[in-house]
Amino acid sequence: MKRMNGMLLISIIPFIIFVLLFLFVPLFFMLYSSFQENGGTGFTFSQYMEVFRNTYYHQAFKNSMLISFFSSLIAITLAVFAAYSITLFSKKVQDRILVFANLTANFAGIPLAFAFIVILGNSGLFTLLFKHFGWDLLNSFNLYSWSGLVLIYVYFQLPLAVMLIYPVYQGIQAQWKEAAALLGASPSQFWLKIGVPIIMPSIAGTFSILFANAMGAYASAFALTGSAYNLVTIRIGAITTGDIFARPELGSAIATLLGLTMVLALLINEWLTRRIRRDLS
Amino acid sequence: MSFLTIEKIKKSFNNETVLHHLNLSIKEGEFVTLLGPSGCGKSTLLRTIAGLIHPDEGTIHIDGKNVTEVKPKDRQVGMVFQSYALFPNMTVQENIEFGLKMKKLDKESIKQNVARVIELVELTGKERSYPRELSGGQQQRVALARSLVTQPKVLLLDEPLSALDAQIRKNLQKQLRSIQQELNMTTILVTHDQEEAMAVSDYIYIMNKGHIAQSGSPHEIYTRPASEFVARFIGNYNVLSRKEISNLFNDDNGYTRDIYAIRPEAFSEAPVKDGYEITGKIQKMTMLGNITRYELEVNNVCFIADHLHKIEEDSQKRETITLYLNRKDVISLT
Amino acid sequence: MKKSFYHYITIGIVVLYLLIPLLGTFLYSFATSWHKTILPEGLTFKWYIELFGDIRFLESLGRSLILSLGATILTLIIMVPAIFSIILYAPKLEKIVQSLVVMTYAMPGIILAVGLIRAYSTSGVSMVLITIGAYFVGILPYMYQGTRNSLRNINAETLMEAAEILGASRYTAFIKVIVPNIMSGILVSSLLSFSILFGEFVLINLLVGGHFETVQIYLYQKLSQSGHIASAIVVCYFILISILSAVMIKMTRQKKETI
Repeated sequence: MKRMNGMLLISIIPFIIFVLLFLFVPLFFMLYSSFQENGGTGFTFSQYMEVFRNTYYHQAFKNSMLISFFSSLIAITLAVFAAYSITLFSKKVQDRILVFANLTANFAGIPLAFAFIVILGNSGLFTLLFKHFGWDLLNSFNLYSWSGLVLIYVYFQLPLAVMLIYPVYQGIQAQWKEAAALLGASPSQFWLKIGVPIIMPSIAGTFSILFANAMGAYASAFALTGSAYNLVTIRIGAITTGDIFARPELGSAIATLLGLTMVLALLINEWLTRRIRRDLS
Repeated sequence: MSFLTIEKIKKSFNNETVLHHLNLSIKEGEFVTLLGPSGCGKSTLLRTIAGLIHPDEGTIHIDGKNVTEVKPKDRQVGMVFQSYALFPNMTVQENIEFGLKMKKLDKESIKQNVARVIELVELTGKERSYPRELSGGQQQRVALARSLVTQPKVLLLDEPLSALDAQIRKNLQKQLRSIQQELNMTTILVTHDQEEAMAVSDYIYIMNKGHIAQSGSPHEIYTRPASEFVARFIGNYNVLSRKEISNLFNDDNGYTRDIYAIRPEAFSEAPVKDGYEITGKIQKMTMLGNITRYELEVNNVCFIADHLHKIEEDSQKRETITLYLNRKDVISLT
Repeated sequence: MKKSFYHYITIGIVVLYLLIPLLGTFLYSFATSWHKTILPEGLTFKWYIELFGDIRFLESLGRSLILSLGATILTLIIMVPAIFSIILYAPKLEKIVQSLVVMTYAMPGIILAVGLIRAYSTSGVSMVLITIGAYFVGILPYMYQGTRNSLRNINAETLMEAAEILGASRYTAFIKVIVPNIMSGILVSSLLSFSILFGEFVLINLLVGGHFETVQIYLYQKLSQSGHIASAIVVCYFILISILSAVMIKMTRQKKETI
């Protein structure tokens, strides 16, 4: 047993207070209020019952999951190939591309939504350009529809995916490739038997981070059409602070369910990682 | 009859020549070492033999076949890397059978072959372990087994032991040598450790700056270094100029070359016939296990002399020592 | 080394995808009018002049700076000593901090916002202060990683032992030996935290809304009014995060060189 340490106590107490006040207290209040009647009168499951009964909220969860799944899938697919290509260039070029990815990773939310309005909105640059060449983009594509939102989600997922996947390839030693070649494996056999199994857990991990990132995203969709998209985060925002019709207890219940979804996604990822790489368990 | 022949191999990287038209020939079943300081081109030469590097000029023949343009996987060479390069996602068993699976051998013979090499490298019981669960020495033995199981014509070892502790390294050297002799495997080892080279090799090529500085059996190289570089690299040779030699022996006659080498253990305390008698001032005395090393000075020439340590010796109090040296042990260098 | 054309294509797709919206916005912020033609009808600085002439924008910029900077500094002061003590004197607690980090990852701003509203909106405490507290939680993962890595790099435990044997108290040793050595590493994670907070919209919008207009909220208001001015804001915002990134990269490189 170490003797009691004054420095430890003095430094750790404010930290604990802040974590309690701004992480655990709000979490507790959210949980508590999700089991309350409208207006906070008495214990009930009715908020959860409503979420489970109301197809509108089903739809919100379904939409959020679909857009998170597909935007993560597109981003990770592009990143898996691009990050590998990046590793083949000189160190200088690699650094530059990563700096660029790092920069654009910070470009999200309202500014990002606006940038897409500028290029693909109703009078966006590309919309005008295509119109000039006689192809009315708006007939087949609408930024304010789901396909537009997917484009925006892919944008903020892509740099994150590249930055997370790139170091994974650094973990593949050149000597593994040489050893495999000497033992008679072709490059595709190397990737199939060694390369992909080794990077798979990282790809799965990255996918779950991207998925959680997209599930929690709010600002871009909000900036594009206010509360028109039926996404979980948009619903929570609208119900909790809605001027017309605020139902914070219901919002708390939905937020709790969203949190559970994310925790579930992280757990599935962990389980998958163990299944894929027996040597890591 | 030469089993592996390398003729006029040249390789440059970025206009810098790393291998200068090298020639080597290796007999079947021979254990050959490429010895040299880092950057001398020994690893490049080994990787050229493996086919991982394509030479600018020259040819490589293995077992009578020109393999210069043959892909690594079709050369029938095995290679053990310094970092082991074990596949981390596979068990010991899976790592070892990888090469046989690539050859599409049937299940039964894969099983037999793998079991045989696992026994050979003494890893029985570790088949289902993953590389990271093994010690460094065990990992290295898996890497060796993985290369041996495909029955290569030549086994290439790229500093395979340099990442290991001294004790484990010594044991693995012995094991490596006995496995090599048991299988009569033509083997090329790359190392910068001259003791290791002396301990395991039939034949040594010493390399320096992309050239072969000297080649020969360990005994030849140790007793007759051909150049100052070799003398300095392989041991604690006293390397002395003509002037220093004549000061040391008080004898101008016959020493016409520029530079000479004398092994420290060539000095003896017992008089020798037809030799020199030298009395030197003891500058410093160091115990090196079973050897006592004297740093001596005679006529402003400093040199070292090694002696088997004797218990009754009480040289702490001695200030000078008289030693004898056979004329034959003064080696002229180029 | 030979690289097949294919590798240029994969990188090209990613770079173009990320670049085009930026370039479009950049051009638009300098365009006089751009409604029907392919290229802008003319170029002008008008929108930037108008933007920086708008007192509302300057005020919102000031609020954003104060809010982000304040939250970053507060987090710095509270977290660095805490992480330091935990790593050195109570390593068992580090597991708990790591689970906190995972928790904050799994808890997006929107969830935190709901909880904070339920907990504090009727408490009478200014919601701006509550937002700063929420930012503390939001940047916790980055600060934790940065502090931990810096401490590991300088071998903090040995340094502390050396300083204490030489007669320094723990506090003096921490202030005089540890802090100066981890400063550059911690500054990098502080800059990262600052640039994340500067772009934060969810918490400030839901917790405080229009009462405390930050740059992000100002931008949101402008979206429907003037596209050109909104572009100018986006460009300024992007330049700011570029500068911050450049400083961070430079500092990280310097650190590598000195080690």
